Amino acid sequence: MSVFDLQHGTVVLGGRRILEEVSVTVDEGEFVAILGANGSGKTTLVRTLVGLNPLEAGTLTVFGTPLARFREWPRLGYVPQRLSVGGGVPATVGEVVASGRTGRLSRFRRFSRDDRAAVAHALEDVGLSDRAGDPVATLSGGQQQRVLIARALAGEPEVLVLDEPTAGVDADSQDTLAGALGHLSNNGGSVVLVAHELGPLAGLIGRAVVLSHGQVQSDGPPPQPEGHHAAPGHVHVHPHADEQPPSTFGLDR
Amino acid sequence: MTILAFDFMRRGLIAALLVGFAAPSIGTFLVQRRLSLTGDGIGHVAFTGVGLGVLLRTSPVLTAVVVSILGAVLIEVVRERAQASGDVALALLFYGGLAGGSILIKLAGGTNSALGGYLFGSLSSVSSGDLAVIVTLSLVVLATMLVFLRELFAVCQDEDVAHVSGLPVRFLNLLVAVGAAVTVTVAMRTVGLLLVSALMVVPVATVQLLSRSFRGTLYGACLLGAVMSVGGLVLSYYADVPPGGSIVVLSLTGFLVAAIAASVRKRVVR
Repeated sequence: MSVFDLQHGTVVLGGRRILEEVSVTVDEGEFVAILGANGSGKTTLVRTLVGLNPLEAGTLTVFGTPLARFREWPRLGYVPQRLSVGGGVPATVGEVVASGRTGRLSRFRRFSRDDRAAVAHALEDVGLSDRAGDPVATLSGGQQQRVLIARALAGEPEVLVLDEPTAGVDADSQDTLAGALGHLSNNGGSVVLVAHELGPLAGLIGRAVVLSHGQVQSDGPPPQPEGHHAAPGHVHVHPHADEQPPSTFGLDR
Repeated sequence: MTILAFDFMRRGLIAALLVGFAAPSIGTFLVQRRLSLTGDGIGHVAFTGVGLGVLLRTSPVLTAVVVSILGAVLIEVVRERAQASGDVALALLFYGGLAGGSILIKLAGGTNSALGGYLFGSLSSVSSGDLAVIVTLSLVVLATMLVFLRELFAVCQDEDVAHVSGLPVRFLNLLVAVGAAVTVTVAMRTVGLLLVSALMVVPVATVQLLSRSFRGTLYGACLLGAVMSVGGLVLSYYADVPPGGSIVVLSLTGFLVAAIAASVRKRVVR
């Protein structure tokens, strides 16, 4: 069964067409990367899949159910693109991660042993077990990103949707993240993630959907680095052209 | 204790105690989503409700509850739509509320001192009818916040994630808005409409300097709010100043002490 099935989806935000007739299907157990340049519509696509952006045209089913009638939200986990955990009041790592269980709990039930186990497990997956009692604000950016992922994992979702989980994250955190996602994927979970740089995630990805100007440019096996790009130790840098042509006499800089 | 010899003081102290507990319970969620000034806005709008009550010769507390709930819902709708002009829309609502109230109260033949009582609190103004309303509403606010604590924390932490978790985000947001509106009107008699927001925000700002967790901040702020509220009322009785002023000055002093303690602690730890 497909986890997400978007057919001819068009999304308009603030009067601008961000996605145009996009069709993407994600099957159970798949690990899909959404790639593309800035402004190609990657974030809009994943937000649409989890029901945060309304469709102007087209259809979307989630676990086989049309989105409007979908109620099994605990099957989804979502990690938005955030620079930090946020919030004006201090909160501990444990509290933030535990809030990922909220959708699974009925109002008057106390936090059970199962709930606590899921939270502990999620913290372990992202390597932050020893930080559960610390205020989130005292963690580094990469660690806070891991907290956000642990929050989603704590809900024990069948599919995890992540928006740029590796942006601005240190190498250690990227490796931990790859481990956690690999673990989820090995246990039959599905992963959809937006990425700019794949880094250590590259080996996990089974399929890549490349967007360009709000349309699907390609959908298939992930692009392999070629030539010296694939060489170990290659630093992926794109030098930008000078804004001004060099001056003839070297005086006007 | 001569202070307890007067009926109005006993009523005032009970009101101050409950309001002191209830205001920071809402305030924590407002601070969490960086909406500290929302309480102020609702206070301004509630003033029109008070004016309406005075003009219609019914209970001003009751009309203020109705008008401020309407105002809070309107503010929440503007916030949700988050237009570029959102903050101007809010400002217009605030000014309109204050202006409307001042005109309505004057039209009803109200005096300047009655006006001052609503704006900055007044010791003698809590009638036994008011007290019943204040006690009931504060308890309802406190109970609601506790029952929905988990959901409210999740929504205030990240609205998008709460949506995808299947939480009733709009309902929860309205719950905070209506809770804030009710708290404003409940606190109006003791702290006054212009200072009620301070009782929602200052205890939270104080406790979070020293606390690590959300729950710790929430419970600590409620406790501190109650102490400051009652303490300020006692102070206002002996110093013969408006209770709103003494409660807020006392709270701000507490904030200052906590800020110094926090910075000393930081240095010692280092």
